[in-house]
Amino acid sequence: MAEGDLRWYILFANYEQGLALHGLLTDAGIKNRIAPAPRAIQGELSCGMSLLLEPDAVEAARRCIKEHHAEYYDIVPLAGQIRSRRDKYC
Amino acid sequence: MIYLDNAATTLHKPPQVMDAVVRAMTAMGNAARGAHGGALEASRTVYNTRVKLARLFGCPRPDHVIFTANSTEALNIAISGLIRPGDHVVTTDCEHNSVLRPLYRLEERGAVLDIAPADRLGRVACEDLEALLRPDTRAVVCTHASNLTGNVLDIARIGEMARRRGALFIVDASQTAGALPIDMEAMGVDVLCFTGHKGLMGPQGTGGLCVRPGVEIEPWKVGGSGVHSYDRRQPREYPTRLEAGTLNGHGIAGLSAALDFLQEVGVEAIEAKECALMDRFYQAVSAMDGVTVYGDFSQARRSAIVALNIRDYDSAAVSDELSETYGIATRPGAHCAPRMHRALGTTDRGAVRFSFSWFNTQDEVDEAIRAVGQLAEE
Repeated sequence: MAEGDLRWYILFANYEQGLALHGLLTDAGIKNRIAPAPRAIQGELSCGMSLLLEPDAVEAARRCIKEHHAEYYDIVPLAGQIRSRRDKYC
Repeated sequence: MIYLDNAATTLHKPPQVMDAVVRAMTAMGNAARGAHGGALEASRTVYNTRVKLARLFGCPRPDHVIFTANSTEALNIAISGLIRPGDHVVTTDCEHNSVLRPLYRLEERGAVLDIAPADRLGRVACEDLEALLRPDTRAVVCTHASNLTGNVLDIARIGEMARRRGALFIVDASQTAGALPIDMEAMGVDVLCFTGHKGLMGPQGTGGLCVRPGVEIEPWKVGGSGVHSYDRRQPREYPTRLEAGTLNGHGIAGLSAALDFLQEVGVEAIEAKECALMDRFYQAVSAMDGVTVYGDFSQARRSAIVALNIRDYDSAAVSDELSETYGIATRPGAHCAPRMHRALGTTDRGAVRFSFSWFNTQDEVDEAIRAVGQLAEE
């Protein structure tokens, strides 16, 4: 992923919501990874954990959330700041 | 994985801690409930652990060592059991939310709270704290060392100030118990709150408070005590007064083994090793372009923590990169220390905290230095 590319974060009010959705997304085969929530997008309600998605998984994640009435705070894109030495995020 | 998040919890424990927990889970009944072998095994383990903790912290009486689940519970017990609406309390900008939130809640109920400010290096001047003390100040509540910067507060001096004004002195030793020498008597501490799973290297779910004899803390919770069962009120004797319900005996057995390890190695040796690792890391990263380190590293004694930011990167992004690319575990974000971040000017992006333990090695530190160097270059 090049610097400036968008990463999509699902934000939560607490870890319990995040871990519950992590299980749902994983069970549905939607690639996601638990990651620290960037301060820039945390907002007032969200906690320090987020789920990181590849851009092409965002719509599937939204459908999964809707289907399971999963709780979350927000889904937010953020440009990557660091040019990583690895090329996969999830 | 290179684990450098020891200020959150020490992941690597002495092997005898695990052995003790497993042994306790096969042999331990309920402490202070009955006189059969299993119950006595538990009672003996719990009492012996009180003795070890009293010795470690200079608490005059082992029965004034009270077990809790963690520092936060200990601090809640101390703060809510000693401070009443209308009382005046002094604390500092260095505090964790485990001190701040109980005090804010008391403030909402009518206590009067003054907070000594920290400067841009996260230092609190004792003179500033002393200036806030009043003739009617009920208590000073402060941390021994900041969980964000590692800066140590001059506990002995603050204790002397509090004692001179007739105020109680409650200390949060979450970051220093087991890592720095503590002597309640010499430091003028009335209540010392500690956790078992950080510097003491015991299991999570253990912690407690040491109470100076004569300090009367009203119970935060009441219930089963194993004694005085027909009384309607909680027994007044320590430790029973503050220990309603079954203790975490299995965890305390692990803590007891951890205390044996500490005794064997020595707190001074642990402090020396952790600070040498911290200093090696600090000297290298503080010289790098694009790296900002927070805290006062001119202190002769400090907690083995280095908090930093790299360029304008979000601390969460840096910590994630360290974890995913380099296999290095650190803690980003706010660290439950909102006032300290305000003082340091890091409220918006937090900071990446590297914290070192007895079980870290120089090679691990060098790997972390290399990782920070690469991130700072990009």
